Amino acid sequence: MEPELAIGLPAAGSVWAAVLQARPRAAFAGAAALGLSGLAVVVISTPGRSSEQLGITFSLSSESRSLLIAAAAALALVVALAPMSVERTLLLRWGLAGLAGMAAIGAATSLDTVILTVLVLAVLQAASVGSRPFTTRMRGPVLAAALLALAAAFARNDGPPILARLAGVGLVAGLSAALGTLPYIHQFDPAERTVTSPIPWIAFIGPVLALTVLTRARDLVPTEGAAFGAMMIGLGLLNMLWGSLASWTTEGGAAAWHYSFMADWGLALCGFGLAVADGERAALLVLYSILLSRLPLYLWSRQSLREKRPNDRPINLLAAAMLAGSAPFAGFAARVLLLRGATQLYSPLALVIGLGLLLWLPPSLRLGRSVGLPRGRQAWGVGGALAINVVIGLYPQPFLSLAGL
Amino acid sequence: MAAFAAWLGAAVIVLSDGRRGLALGLALITVAFTLLAWMGGERIAAVALLFGGAVAVVQRLRTGLDVWRVMPPGSTPRLVLAIGGGLLALWIATSVMTGAGAPLRFAALGVVGLMGSRVLMADIKPAAVLTSLAALALSVAVASGMADTGLGPSPYIAAAVIALGISLIKVQDTNGG
Repeated sequence: MEPELAIGLPAAGSVWAAVLQARPRAAFAGAAALGLSGLAVVVISTPGRSSEQLGITFSLSSESRSLLIAAAAALALVVALAPMSVERTLLLRWGLAGLAGMAAIGAATSLDTVILTVLVLAVLQAASVGSRPFTTRMRGPVLAAALLALAAAFARNDGPPILARLAGVGLVAGLSAALGTLPYIHQFDPAERTVTSPIPWIAFIGPVLALTVLTRARDLVPTEGAAFGAMMIGLGLLNMLWGSLASWTTEGGAAAWHYSFMADWGLALCGFGLAVADGERAALLVLYSILLSRLPLYLWSRQSLREKRPNDRPINLLAAAMLAGSAPFAGFAARVLLLRGATQLYSPLALVIGLGLLLWLPPSLRLGRSVGLPRGRQAWGVGGALAINVVIGLYPQPFLSLAGL
Repeated sequence: MAAFAAWLGAAVIVLSDGRRGLALGLALITVAFTLLAWMGGERIAAVALLFGGAVAVVQRLRTGLDVWRVMPPGSTPRLVLAIGGGLLALWIATSVMTGAGAPLRFAALGVVGLMGSRVLMADIKPAAVLTSLAALALSVAVASGMADTGLGPSPYIAAAVIALGISLIKVQDTNGG
């Protein structure tokens, strides 16, 4: 019952933190213990082993397991080294709820379970107090759930070949709606708290969700692999272009970060769409980088963004280099693998992607400056995120092996 | 008849703003899905759907505007959506898709499509969103019945619990409620 515990323990931790919010220390200690227990279960779990203790078949794949571990590590990093102005118990409570949902999504063996989990996560997030209206916050995830459900229905019924293609379109569109990788799908309010904003969808839940939907898609529409890959690459290129240009030119600093996540997702979608081993490796490294570096840096830049205190110190240049995917950071290894995969498939595509990569430079310099001058816990956090990224960039194989690649 | 009742329920949710209209639509969908699951041999699933849907209907009747408000002024686009969506689902379920189970396909496609569209409408209120979500959860479970390898009653039970849980959520006024 490893998958069930991987879901149940973080969920229990989140509930514990919510129930004991009047006693913050007890809430934090209990929730942290339950969350760490959940992480331990994920770490020691055997990939691919099925369990049906709750009547629903769950099985954690190597890739899902690796991203769950990365997400849990990212949560531990941002909670342990949260800025002074951030309430750590609240961050932990929402992070554990997201982690439980991600474990359910990652361990789901049917698309229906994934859709129902997305609905639950969306309602929980939208029902909490935030600056955007409840109805606005529900639109993206509900559109995603409806499109994925229609895609599953099209894929499961007999009929002309167009049904399978429509199923492929529905799966890609549904995934895009859930992540927020198309412009204007998720309305972004720079002043909103991170936990209730669209950022958790694109930067925290998204990686595991995308991986699971793509795995299920291969089972549902096995004959449409080429069309599916072409759609993913098209969507990826669109996100690379739109995300990097918008991140460069938009006025708001927080909005620039939001667009930068979209640009990174462009790389990941291209990698998955290539359907070659190097492409998958590149996509996985990009997702590691989003979870373990870009998301924590975004959280630590929030205070500096509010106070409008950009900085040009060496730490800011290092952060910019990491965000731009330069050597020796993980983004560089991902880009090399992506270009190699694209060359194997169709060399002009590698040229297009290569030119697109140049667009990362100007927005990365801007985002690096927006981190400000980190002090205290925040400085340790920025240093930690950069160090993790360098380790993945210099020696990515253990991280890829963890995902079975 | 059950499949048409499901579409009618979804159409009523699309056309309604008041709690009575929304509850009526959800009740029609619940009864229709219960019958479809029962006729498909999924007895436990049918009971789960009935229980989850019934609680959601009762909860909907207790919260929100105490009026019907079916087809308020300016509802023409919604009416077109309800009828057009139903016809499209009927055509796909009976003519494009082949094989047995056309009623199940029509019911599932119709409700998923209309509920997804309802949530995207500009002037929607939280009560209508929550009702649409409950119906969407139930329809996702019913659509899982189309899978070649039967998933058993678990998706139905999960969907019933979700529909029930959604109906208990209080959306706070500060965020647009």
